[in-house]
Amino acid sequence: MLRLLATIRKEWQLLLRDKTGIILLFIMPVVLITVMALIQDAPFRDYQDIKFDLLTVDNDHGKLGRYVKEGLSKSGQFNIIDSLDGQPLTAGQARDLVNSGKYKISIIVPQGATAEIVSNANKIVNDITKRMGVPGSLPVKQRTDSVNVTIYFDPAAKKAFKGAIHQAVDNFLTQVETDLLLDRIKQQLRRKDSTQVATSDSFSIRLQAVGLKELSTGAGKQLDIISNSVQHNVPAWSIFAMFFIVIPIAGNMIREREDGSLLRMKLIPGAYLDILGGKMLFFVGVCVLQFYLMMLVGIYLMPLLDLPRLVMGYHQGATLVVAIGIGLAATSYGVLIGTVFKTPNQALNFGAISIVIFSAIGGIWIPLEVMPEKMQVVGHLSALSWGLDAINDIYLRNGDIAMVWKKVLMLVGVSVVMLAVAGYIEKRRLN
Amino acid sequence: MSGIVVKNLCKTYKGSIEPTLKGLSFQFREGGIAGLLGPNGAGKTTTISILCGITRADSGSVTIFGTPQDAAHREAIKHIIGIVPQQIALYPQLSAVQNLTYFGNLYGFKGKALQEKIMYYLELFGLAHSADKEIYKYSGGMKRRANIIAAILHDPRLLILDEPTAGVDVQSRNLILQFLKDYNARGASILYTSHLLEEAQSICEEIAIVDNGKMIVHGNPNELILKHSQCSNLEDVFLHYTGEALRD
Repeated sequence: MLRLLATIRKEWQLLLRDKTGIILLFIMPVVLITVMALIQDAPFRDYQDIKFDLLTVDNDHGKLGRYVKEGLSKSGQFNIIDSLDGQPLTAGQARDLVNSGKYKISIIVPQGATAEIVSNANKIVNDITKRMGVPGSLPVKQRTDSVNVTIYFDPAAKKAFKGAIHQAVDNFLTQVETDLLLDRIKQQLRRKDSTQVATSDSFSIRLQAVGLKELSTGAGKQLDIISNSVQHNVPAWSIFAMFFIVIPIAGNMIREREDGSLLRMKLIPGAYLDILGGKMLFFVGVCVLQFYLMMLVGIYLMPLLDLPRLVMGYHQGATLVVAIGIGLAATSYGVLIGTVFKTPNQALNFGAISIVIFSAIGGIWIPLEVMPEKMQVVGHLSALSWGLDAINDIYLRNGDIAMVWKKVLMLVGVSVVMLAVAGYIEKRRLN
Repeated sequence: MSGIVVKNLCKTYKGSIEPTLKGLSFQFREGGIAGLLGPNGAGKTTTISILCGITRADSGSVTIFGTPQDAAHREAIKHIIGIVPQQIALYPQLSAVQNLTYFGNLYGFKGKALQEKIMYYLELFGLAHSADKEIYKYSGGMKRRANIIAAILHDPRLLILDEPTAGVDVQSRNLILQFLKDYNARGASILYTSHLLEEAQSICEEIAIVDNGKMIVHGNPNELILKHSQCSNLEDVFLHYTGEALRD
């Protein structure tokens, strides 16, 4: 126990005297997560609360044009622009502006679109009433034109974004067509009832029998949060920063080997495992400290920068266990790198680049869900993704230890494997 | 026989064609000051590593004070030897007291007894005034002296020193050599390597000159000088046996 405690104290003394190391471990990650949360705030708001300018050209001047404009405006996601410099926008201008990338979308409602919908509705109602023996018919156009609402997208627009807009406009078209159809049915029924008892209430039609309601899936207390820039970036980049502990650990181990202190330690009676254990305990502690420092930044600093406040869920015990698991994996990776490589330069370069790669594939930079399917499979092999998944389970899905223990076990498992490999390499080096 | 007994040591490092040790054998008596001498690449450091149990020999045997240096006795041997490596095996960012406290703790010493011992040795080696100064701020001689203290905190019966006076000034060298004589007078055995043959001649009771992984000559330095009429000092004896060709 004395050897273990002495090693922890020695590492602490070394860290205190290493100002650059302290900056690398604590200050840089704070800057990193702040910058990343700020610059990724806009992309995260893309489909949430950012408003897009939407060019609309209403050549119809009827119900459809009005519905589309009002509907998109009410959605809160679009600023409707239908004129430029006081002049009504034309279809040609809208197409050119989108093509040049100045605007992302334009919607052109063609002339006669409402008339075409009305005529189609009248035709359907006439068919129904004729079969029911109701007298009278609504006017129908003799010739049916092919009328389309046109949408222009910025060529650089994302597929998902295009799909969402398509869906929204399609819904408005269906809504207008349904409204007009119901309106025509009411008209015909009123006409029929005018010869009998006429009460407006008798025509009320309840169109939506089944509604749509969104509920949280979490058990117990419900978390009313959505994944936003802070909710993704703070845990994600904290895990990234924790793994950067590889650099000081590997450097420390290589220096000990180079200057002979490792030799001295191995010549002292007792298992080297005590010393390694003390070293690992210290660095796991530093990782956990880093993690909670970053969480405090998410809770207290982010709101000061007009970003959402970090929500840590309700299971703080589970969070601590996950943070320890991540710290253990990061520290073990540092021990492995420090054992495999012979010079601090090799370790620094390999360590830093490998963490960037593991973090990129592990969903730290962008969520794993938006990656191609094959990359998602590869991404799930990264220890960083296990840590992030576990944190997301707690923060976003209100998960407890029962939900994250498998991921923690995976982190511990990979740590044991890395330490075993390091031990094997060290033993071979002795022989 | 007690003391340090090395028999037929062979060692070839992985990836190396030429063996480093080719059946090296020698023996030093217990309680003396012995010198292991040889040109660069002779196999001195490898021999010391095998003596300490850090490197495994391909074949041959080592016995220290009657205890074989093998897997079963490695821990027992660690208790009786102290090693002063050629490098300054201390943490440069920590002070001498912090370094020595840490290594003392690893030996299982703690508290007031350890601190008193550290201060005693710091005084003895003229480092008390710089006890709280970081090692990287020390001069070369101060670093060497602190390096020796770290190896003797557990009062080893055998002190092995690899070039303990390399790159130090005359004052520091005198202090180190005087300490070795005093420590030896307290009953400890000393095995020491150096390229400074005049120094070896002055303190060693017996020497072994090794070259190309083999023992060349063994004996008392003064007797060896007398044995070769053309040699007036140990350096002449050394050159007589190892030749004038440069070693890389």
